[in-house]
Amino acid sequence: NIPYGNLFLCGALKMILADNEQKLKENLVSREEWMKGDKKGSCLFGQLPIFEDGDLVLYQSNAILRHVGRKHGAYGKNDCEASLIDMMNDSVEDLRLKYIKLIYQEYETGKEAYCKDLPNHLKPFESILSKSKSGFLVGDQISFADYNLFDLLLNNKVLCSASLDSFPTLKSYVDKIAARPKIKALLECENFKKLPINGNGKQ
Amino acid sequence: MTHWQSGMSFVAATQFACKEGACMTHQKKRQVLYKERRASFCALHCLKQPSLPTLFCTMAPYTLTYFPVKGRCGALKMMLADNGQQLKENVVSIEEWMKGDLKGSCLFGQLPKFEDGDLVLYQSNAMLRHLGRKHGAYGKKDCEASLIDMMNDSVEDLRLKYIKLIYQEYETGKEAYCKDLPNHLKPFESILSKSKSGFLVGDQISFADYNLFDLLLNHKVLCSASLDSFPALKSYVDKIAARPKIKALLECENFKKLPINGNGKQ
Repeated sequence: NIPYGNLFLCGALKMILADNEQKLKENLVSREEWMKGDKKGSCLFGQLPIFEDGDLVLYQSNAILRHVGRKHGAYGKNDCEASLIDMMNDSVEDLRLKYIKLIYQEYETGKEAYCKDLPNHLKPFESILSKSKSGFLVGDQISFADYNLFDLLLNNKVLCSASLDSFPTLKSYVDKIAARPKIKALLECENFKKLPINGNGKQ
Repeated sequence: MTHWQSGMSFVAATQFACKEGACMTHQKKRQVLYKERRASFCALHCLKQPSLPTLFCTMAPYTLTYFPVKGRCGALKMMLADNGQQLKENVVSIEEWMKGDLKGSCLFGQLPKFEDGDLVLYQSNAMLRHLGRKHGAYGKKDCEASLIDMMNDSVEDLRLKYIKLIYQEYETGKEAYCKDLPNHLKPFESILSKSKSGFLVGDQISFADYNLFDLLLNHKVLCSASLDSFPALKSYVDKIAARPKIKALLECENFKKLPINGNGKQ
């Protein structure tokens, strides 16, 4: 149950749910409705997305990812792996924050410099994945951090088209995840494709 | 009894069968270790095997490598202290950091770095979650864990605003920040005022509580009247600060002397 009018912050969530064949009811909230203020006032921290799993109501996209990861075996096989996955996800989040800042605050003036600097932020992930036997960030199975990184890499491919060119491992990582049958189906689904990546239409 | 001194922690010798003066096997090693601020190595070893001489001392279970600031490690230190855990600290000066070798060896080019045996972690919130998992500060069941995650992420949102102010906009932005701060504290006031236990989630303290507590202390320094209109937050801070091991940490010289932030602003 996710009220949100675009893909922003919920791409990874939809991918992990699709990959685990979980249904998702979506309540879309238009900008006009949001600006009225009632919905916003009812949100714990005044923000969307809201995620509901039975009686549990969650805010914060990464808390939602962790929750779904916990439920669907995408949080590592033991505590050690869980901690490493946390670390990976937090680093994806660091890059996502930079991406968000560019999109919403500095798109026209900052895009060139962002794309130029992007390799420095992709390098660590290239390095980690090139050492990974399974091809996933941690351990031998996909985790919520992988869906998150995958989603972010897709966004950055749109923003800086050549961004993955010098990162063969990241390139094949993206291809591999995109080829997972249920992910592939989601990416090709009309309703998913038509959602703008970001709320201000920039990408 | 645990002391936090000079950024290292050691357990008072009286707790162990191997007394300081009598433990000749380790005395020389301990002298070296004290100099390197790693006395906890020996103390911990002695705790494990008080009557057996050995050839080497085991590592302290937790090691933190960070700059000489409280920064993103306040909550971590409080959680460790509250759980009677020792922490070995490698303090990195700015000069050393600027050389680049250590930075190059860090997975994402950043500190802090945390070690638990063979496990090496970066990202301060991953460290908090790791220790929360180990020390029963991550809720009693999955849905509590998810709520704690949500709370911590919201604390992190405010911490990011704080960090941006401190490092990028201190002179020009402080007044507006303090004026806007109540809007960000209100949700926490609301949550805590409804909490039976006085903690963010469930009936025991979680890593999100240590994180919020630490951030509130920072804000009391930055915007001195910030908690005045938030009675639940005020008593929350008082309650956590009064926990004996937290109180001891907060009163410890070496903790008190650490600047909150790397640029000296607060």
